[in-house]
Amino acid sequence: MLEYDIVIVGGGGAGLYAALWAAENTILKVAVMTKVYPTRSHTGAAEGGINAVLTHSVGDSPEAHAYDTVKGSDFLADQDAVDIMCKMGAAVIYDIAHRGVPFSRRPDGRIAQRPFGGASFPRTCYAADKTGFYILQTLYEQCLKNNVTFLNEWFLLSIIHNGEKVEGLTAWDIRNGGVHLIKTKAVILATGGHARVYWNRTSNALGNTGDGTAAVLRAGLPVKDMEFIQFHPTGLAKTGILVTEGARGEGGYLRNKDGERFMKRYAPEKMELAPRDIVARAIQTEIDEGRGCGPNGDYVCLDLTHLGEKRINERLPQTREHAILYEGVDPVKEPIPVAPTAHYSMGGIDTDKLGRTSIKGLFAAGECACVSVHGANRLGGNSLLDVLVYGRLTALEAVKYADEASDTQPSASKLKDDERRILELMEASGKESMPKLRRELGEVMMKHFGVFREESSMREGLEKIYEIRERAKEVKVYDTSKKFNTDLISVLEFLNLVEIAPAIALPAIERKESRGSHARKDYPKRDDENFLKHSVVVKGEDGELSLSWKPVVITKFPPEERKY
Amino acid sequence: METVKLEVFRYDPEKDKAPYFKEYEVPVEGTLLNALLYIKDNLDPTLAFRAFCRSEVCGSCSMKVNGKTKLACKTPMRELYETWKGKPLKIEPLNHMKVIKDLVVDIDKPIEKMKTLIPWLVPDPRVVPTDPMHESIIYPEEMKAYKDQIHCMLCFSCYSACEAVEDNERYRGPFAFSKAYRFQVDRRDIETAKEKRIRYAISGGLWSCVQCQKCLYVCPKGVKPAEDIQNLRGQAVRKGFTDKPGAKKLKHFVDWIYATGQINRLYLPEEVYGNREAREKLTKAYESMGVEVWEVPKPTKGLMKFRDIYLEILSREEKALELDFSHVRKIDKLVSDVFKADICTIVDKVHQKEEKTKGLIGRLKELFGGSDG
Repeated sequence: MLEYDIVIVGGGGAGLYAALWAAENTILKVAVMTKVYPTRSHTGAAEGGINAVLTHSVGDSPEAHAYDTVKGSDFLADQDAVDIMCKMGAAVIYDIAHRGVPFSRRPDGRIAQRPFGGASFPRTCYAADKTGFYILQTLYEQCLKNNVTFLNEWFLLSIIHNGEKVEGLTAWDIRNGGVHLIKTKAVILATGGHARVYWNRTSNALGNTGDGTAAVLRAGLPVKDMEFIQFHPTGLAKTGILVTEGARGEGGYLRNKDGERFMKRYAPEKMELAPRDIVARAIQTEIDEGRGCGPNGDYVCLDLTHLGEKRINERLPQTREHAILYEGVDPVKEPIPVAPTAHYSMGGIDTDKLGRTSIKGLFAAGECACVSVHGANRLGGNSLLDVLVYGRLTALEAVKYADEASDTQPSASKLKDDERRILELMEASGKESMPKLRRELGEVMMKHFGVFREESSMREGLEKIYEIRERAKEVKVYDTSKKFNTDLISVLEFLNLVEIAPAIALPAIERKESRGSHARKDYPKRDDENFLKHSVVVKGEDGELSLSWKPVVITKFPPEERKY
Repeated sequence: METVKLEVFRYDPEKDKAPYFKEYEVPVEGTLLNALLYIKDNLDPTLAFRAFCRSEVCGSCSMKVNGKTKLACKTPMRELYETWKGKPLKIEPLNHMKVIKDLVVDIDKPIEKMKTLIPWLVPDPRVVPTDPMHESIIYPEEMKAYKDQIHCMLCFSCYSACEAVEDNERYRGPFAFSKAYRFQVDRRDIETAKEKRIRYAISGGLWSCVQCQKCLYVCPKGVKPAEDIQNLRGQAVRKGFTDKPGAKKLKHFVDWIYATGQINRLYLPEEVYGNREAREKLTKAYESMGVEVWEVPKPTKGLMKFRDIYLEILSREEKALELDFSHVRKIDKLVSDVFKADICTIVDKVHQKEEKTKGLIGRLKELFGGSDG
């Protein structure tokens, strides 16, 4: 049995920053467990930047940042948490800059900032167009410097707790095979988002399967605001990989199957340059009402052909490269097939404003957590900030807790359960094909819990999810070897998605209003009287999900209409 | 649908006595990563490979295609199909790392090697404020010094392609030197750390690189390890780390070219490896082959002007300090002894009868042209 004082699950921005702050502030035994090598984590794909009010941001203030964040969240964010996050902005930026993150600089040598959607001041710090990449690499370097213990390529299976405090974990050692029991006083979950539930159309990496969130559900612990998923309007139709907003900024047209520039019916003035959520909803409406393009009518066309080869090459080289590479379409000659793509999970593991869960010693940080600082809709540039602020806060909280906590005695029964579970997967019937079911789940989620939602469709969708959950019991792991069994990992990841899907569906059905990313056709207005509250989902011992509600913390900013 | 055959390297050390290749037919569509995912979803779930981001930032999916190092998510199937004219494509794991299974290799070793070169910032408190709320000022121009190196995403393509890794087990690998060099040219990094990095780079095989430039060609992110290695060598010599054969060779080149306009192959073995018999043996060997042997090359016309130009170029590249004038004076003395006059007189005397109207370029050509003698 492995023994640590603190185990951090996940090696992305939140996990590594937590590891670093834990390593520098304690002599406790800390380990980072991650299913991929840390620098592969999806923090590395964050391009835009990180929001913070710096000492030289004249005219800006943490209060203004907090207000923008709360307004962006459609007033569902907890304002005490938002306050903490915005006030810590400068501290985390300077800290990572001092550690070597090559932030882009102004001519006077100070950190440069640029304007971003939903922000009232230019407060987004950036490092070219690879901010997340540089942050991730720098944090990894600093972890190596501090001799952080890594359990690379280990897959989280179960969280062990006694209803009051955390006792340990079980995990699969991918490289050598085998289930391990890990004894630890504190656990920080930093396992990232779960937008891979929308398997066929997401901007997320292959492994953003909400492993920590699913483990929390299996452990009978609460998840929060799961109905909120942010969709980006233009993802490539086949893969969901992003097509930058710049393609529309440069003058690209959106057309339906009749060749009509349909945005004139949704935003006659702004047309293709209307705000993201409006464009995403417009595209989805065209698809839903049968005006989508292609054999299945499941995408619209982003037409750049009139821009000419020269301009496309100059201004949108990456868009062209990706369209050719991933869609087999050259935008110089043909329009690009696009559709809204699942981008970010606002919901996740229920934590308080310091990243603590209801179980002592169990913390969550980053996209897997729902503090909530993003409420119903996240602002661009706030996710990297969330990742760092909560990575650091949970590290300090975990250190404080583990310092005083008594020794734990995790029972080996979970180990036996997980071993049996994996054996059963290898001996299953194989009547159902996992890749096929995974694709089906993605289709169901996009169709019934996509950009637009409606009671009857969602109920139908939930039935289908339950049906897939049943059929998933017939899924088989064909590879019976121990070493680097990626077949097993893919199936476990899929089962995590199956765990998460109904937890999105249930609150989506019950939230009978439209707020932030949750847009309901049957309830198009925000309803503060009845729904200014967080949804909380818990899985009971019978395997059924139950839904309850929790108040939103409002301190400074009373809810108002969200207008831009 | 158009298809192509992939011959994929398969090896499960638990089950297989030896590696073998398995053939799969995949659509010529999307990227090589799409093809591998197609195999996994439709043909054979047991195939093991690493992949994550799908969009060229995470560095997981590097492998070999018909011997060439490629990032699978960045390699269009159409391009492979056309390059190899529809013939089967051999997909293999990277070189120089132990195969864990199929296309998955053990990257712990290169990471451990990299770690020995201090690939992180060691802040100089005079530049980086210790007050966490105080910003450190960095001008955009100074960031240009490491603008390429920071793109390394640890895909280990260069490590796989490297000739020096092949030869020398201790050799740290091209990417590791680039990672280290990134901090050597960062003003915020403390001098003592820079010195240590050089020391560790030298014991990590800094002088083993054969400058084959393969790392530079296989890097999917435009990092240029071969150049960084050259620059690290320069730093090593400037910091006085001149006891390694590589450094001695560099010193021989710089000094002899300055002193005489060419290197001296008779003295090279002695000055670099301390091999005193080599000069005699070489002389005998050359003579037996009928090759004319000069103990020192005959000083050419315009040598003094050449020295000025050479010094100017070295200073412009901040390498003037690599020139060791005491060594140059020894060479001068050798030349004087052989030709029985001081170096300036020889240069004038030897060439006094030649025409004086030749341009500078003509004179330089003359200098370099005869350097093989």
